[in-house]
Amino acid sequence: MNLHSLFCPSSIAIVGASDTLFKWGAYIMSNILDGGFTGKVYPVSVSKSIVFGREAYKSVRDIEDKVDLVFITTPAQTVMAVLEDCRDSGVKNVVMVTSGFSETGEDGARMEKEVERFAIENGMHIVGPNTMGIVNTHCCLYATGSIVRPVRGGISIVAQSGNLGNQIMEWAEQEKIGIAKFVGSGNEGVLKVEDYLEYFMDDEDTSVVLMYIEGIDDGKRFMDVASRVTAKKPVIALKAGRTQSGSQAAQSHTGAMSGSHVIFESVMKQTGIVIARTPSELLTLSAAFDSFPVPDDNRVGIITLGGGWGVVTADECEERDLSIPPLPDDVMEKLDKRLPPFWSKANPVDLVGQPDIVLFEESIEYMAASDSFDAIITLGMVGSKQFALRAAEAAMNLGNLSKGEYQKFKDNLDQYQMDFLDKIILITEKYGKPILPVSLAKTDYDEMVHQLKGSKYKLVIYGSPEEAVLCLQKMYHYSRYLAKRRN
Amino acid sequence: MREIIMTAVERGQEALSEYESKRVVETAGVIVSGNRLATSRDEAVQMAATSGYPVALKGCSPALTHKTEMGMVKLKLKTPEEVAEAYDEITSKGVELDGVIVQEWVEGDNREFVIGMTRDPQFGPCVMFGLGGIFTEALKDVSFRVAPLTEVDAMEMIDEIRTQKLLGEFRGSPAVDKKKLVDAIIGIGNLSSEYEQIAEIDINPLIIEKSNPVAVDALVILKK
Repeated sequence: MNLHSLFCPSSIAIVGASDTLFKWGAYIMSNILDGGFTGKVYPVSVSKSIVFGREAYKSVRDIEDKVDLVFITTPAQTVMAVLEDCRDSGVKNVVMVTSGFSETGEDGARMEKEVERFAIENGMHIVGPNTMGIVNTHCCLYATGSIVRPVRGGISIVAQSGNLGNQIMEWAEQEKIGIAKFVGSGNEGVLKVEDYLEYFMDDEDTSVVLMYIEGIDDGKRFMDVASRVTAKKPVIALKAGRTQSGSQAAQSHTGAMSGSHVIFESVMKQTGIVIARTPSELLTLSAAFDSFPVPDDNRVGIITLGGGWGVVTADECEERDLSIPPLPDDVMEKLDKRLPPFWSKANPVDLVGQPDIVLFEESIEYMAASDSFDAIITLGMVGSKQFALRAAEAAMNLGNLSKGEYQKFKDNLDQYQMDFLDKIILITEKYGKPILPVSLAKTDYDEMVHQLKGSKYKLVIYGSPEEAVLCLQKMYHYSRYLAKRRN
Repeated sequence: MREIIMTAVERGQEALSEYESKRVVETAGVIVSGNRLATSRDEAVQMAATSGYPVALKGCSPALTHKTEMGMVKLKLKTPEEVAEAYDEITSKGVELDGVIVQEWVEGDNREFVIGMTRDPQFGPCVMFGLGGIFTEALKDVSFRVAPLTEVDAMEMIDEIRTQKLLGEFRGSPAVDKKKLVDAIIGIGNLSSEYEQIAEIDINPLIIEKSNPVAVDALVILKK
């Protein structure tokens, strides 16, 4: 399904546009204008002549230019007449923000059927009704009821709950995790979650699809589309309703143990969808898949600034289907030449409290270059500056360091960390293996996603080993799913 | 297979009898233990002699769901006299039977699995594999996939259960023949895709004889 002109319109009309604050027609209109959309924007209103400084039209029919996309925010009973105007003006895409359809009962469901029929007859793409709206960061189109402005990136979102989708975008905005497109699929009267999924499959701006699902209508089509998409790019999904009980009508033991959620999780495994258990996990996993190459297999090399941390990370790996192979002789030899005599001489490689950037970089590269490892987790070089900084701060407080000297020291440390992260990206590129950094001390001003201009990879900086291991496990599972189906 | 299912549907049966169920799942690709239906005492004794002792006798009717509780199951019968006596006992309960199943005794190694099928309103027939026997529902160590299944799907179902170790060499018993398990799982999926009339299936237990998974009981429930 090609939804390009829906997500990338050149011109937009908003039916029900308003500048009365706290009305949907005002939310959508002001968000689009303030968000920096570069195409044309036409307000349509029966009661206002000027909306946010722009001349309003009485009807979509009155707009002389071609309109690619119409937002409808007027009440449910007006919708059919607006749709007819749209059809007569050659409009092919509609985002129906209006509520009061199947979510309210039988009468609403009947109206929604009418909308569906009309859309099919006239070849119209309709989002909603009862949708939060859409976003396309790649053309600065921010058209949701609640204003969120995540940075441009590769994750595209389809959410069957607008609120949940908004929350995820808000987190993404705060953590600077890049989003490509968003759609709140609303009641899915016309366009279904499968349609968006299928569109994202070939969308060049989308590298990862994030889905929040409550239920679907056409199981077979969902499976068909999902397995085709996951063959091309990762799909991360959260399915709500985990605790709903199984079917009561079952007569067999098999039936008693099934239930809709059990089956849906099986469907996700069967089609290669990565399963997230919480909304925050959805975003964390999506960011990982959007940033790192996936590992070929499950053998992990760990490099740590301190012993205990290495051990807990190794435990976490073993419990999550990842293996910690012994260090091969050649890597052992190379490391032994560079490290102090009391180093661990095993995987995890313990650098015994030597926050030496060059040593770290070299050790990471030795491990990444080895055929014995498919992925590397590096614990602690990132964030260790925080402790040096605290010591400098104490010295400053005691009058042994000037403010200027402190600031210079801090700037240097920040730069060292940036350079270190850049270097890890370069090593990632060179060997095509994921290298996951875990920070020793993450502060509010530290970035979560590190980018290097010109590189196709990014780094997610984790706040804890378990978060890094979870992401690596899911990447490994996805890689294994693909490998089994290639043979 | 078609005839068994269609006849049962026409008769308004809610389920296939154990004998019919086993014949159907056997045609679908599941190994079942020797499965014959005797309608007289002499026939039962003769069948037992043919299959070799010991044998098990079970009263057979599509309406029977609690055979054991009703004294309709007699295990490990070793002589013609024991078979004749068991036949008389089973047929004297006043329950209308299709006949009595004479089943060769399968000496399992305590490992019991289950293969099943249920229909999901969204996705259609879903095949289940997992740990079988009397603790199936208590332990819930099972995996599901939507039919039709590929070999990779079936293999992933098998690899998904927690009690993985039971499938390998275990306490002196050989590893389970996974290829045969895969064939059985795929077969049940295909059977369910082909016959809309089948609502649910339980094959439990599936015991391991040498390395083969063998169904010693099966239940095919029909749509109402």
